[in-house]
Amino acid sequence: MVKKVLIFTLVISCLGAKTGVYEKNCIPCHEDMAVKIDKFFYRYLLKYSSEMEVKNAMTKYLKNPKAENSILVDGLINRFGVKKKTTLRDTELQEALDTYWDQYQVFDKLK
Amino acid sequence: MLVLKNWDINLRSREKKTLRSFLFLYAFLTLLILAFVAFLYYGLERDLMLQNQRETLSNLTNEQIARLKSLHVNLGKEQTYPRDERFNSAIYDSSLKQIFSTLGTHKVNLYEDIYLKADRIYFIKELESYYLGARYIVLEVPAPPTWSEKVFRKLLGYGALIFSILVVIGYFLLGLLLRPMKETIALLDRFIKDTTHELNTPVNAILSNIEMMDLHTLDETVSKKIKRITIASKTISNLYDDLTYLVLSHKILSQDETIDLKVLLEERLEYFSLLFESKKIQLSYSLEEGIYLTIDRKKMTKLIDNILSNAIKYNKMGGMIEVVLSPQSITIKDSGRGIDKNQIDQAFERYTRFDRSVGGFGIGLSIVASIAKEYALHVKLDSVLHEGTTVRISW
Repeated sequence: MVKKVLIFTLVISCLGAKTGVYEKNCIPCHEDMAVKIDKFFYRYLLKYSSEMEVKNAMTKYLKNPKAENSILVDGLINRFGVKKKTTLRDTELQEALDTYWDQYQVFDKLK
Repeated sequence: MLVLKNWDINLRSREKKTLRSFLFLYAFLTLLILAFVAFLYYGLERDLMLQNQRETLSNLTNEQIARLKSLHVNLGKEQTYPRDERFNSAIYDSSLKQIFSTLGTHKVNLYEDIYLKADRIYFIKELESYYLGARYIVLEVPAPPTWSEKVFRKLLGYGALIFSILVVIGYFLLGLLLRPMKETIALLDRFIKDTTHELNTPVNAILSNIEMMDLHTLDETVSKKIKRITIASKTISNLYDDLTYLVLSHKILSQDETIDLKVLLEERLEYFSLLFESKKIQLSYSLEEGIYLTIDRKKMTKLIDNILSNAIKYNKMGGMIEVVLSPQSITIKDSGRGIDKNQIDQAFERYTRFDRSVGGFGIGLSIVASIAKEYALHVKLDSVLHEGTTVRISW
């Protein structure tokens, strides 16, 4: 019986586990931030418009984060600082950004 | 000298064809120019109308942008695209991909500023901040309802006025163009008229004096000479008759009577007998009896004379002429030089001559055609070059 309960718990925890690059490498840090991750997306959208330009701008920043090319306003940069350079490989970073785009893009969401 | 009053100048079919071509070309060019001017005018009117709408549309666009801004800020909570009953709108990202649209069409030219299509005005504006990722916003409003109607009414009115003026100008232009041609024809006609007048008295004097002579009392040489004079005089007399008909045809009233065609044909063959003789032409004829036609005697005589005269004139020395009278037609066949196939249609035109080696004005068949037309007779001309011509008059 104990064995069965253990297996069930393991399956459930595996199902609920954060398996994607985005979920594993982006969400954990952003969850604790005062500015939520969706607000970052909308700021990028406001400045760069199309999918390709948004993703290019994000890639550029994540690979070489600097206060000058951050999307955040100066006040927030001063308060939270600039993040560390990404350790993800290009393919992983692309996958994470694709997931991020799919989650918040507005094309299918407007009614 | 005769006066040229009531003188009709008949333009021949080739000239009429030229005139028709000129008029067609003139009308076509006029319409082409008018269409071009109308196109330019329409463009100007359209631009003016769009210019008048620009400010209103710009204000409406700003209102919509404010709503997009509000939606962008509240995007997590609100997802309904702002709509307005005064216009339809759409937003596009910087790669020109449509984000959302309430427009009636999917084809929008984002490179234009403002344009008119299918009675709808499209106003395009680039956003400074890309709310919802939108770089371009498009507003669609119906064009003012009576605008196009007004423009087309104006275009039609002015177009018709200008076209009428150009047609009048074209008419005068045509007059100028035709003047030299008319003058040439008038000159030729006047010459014939004057010649005709001067021919009458001497020809009559010669013929009546010859008739008064008793040829049997003269020796053979003189008699032969007199015969030649008779032939020449009859030729001139025939020509005189043709010219008289040509000049006065519209003034001569027809006196129709029932004519025995056999009798008339025999009379005319007898009249031309000396001419047949002079060219050693072998005449054969088959004339059925009891065939009558109600027609003016002078005109029927003229018709037959002209065909016979041509048959003799263009025949070769020692040739043949065959005359057949049947209940429905008269056929006169000769062994002359014939007419080229391509020229047969022109044979009935006045002053048309194919062979200038023999005398004449080229009016014979023109007279035949004119008389045939008056009495609804059918004239059929069959000819083989260098072999001969057959003229068939049927009724």
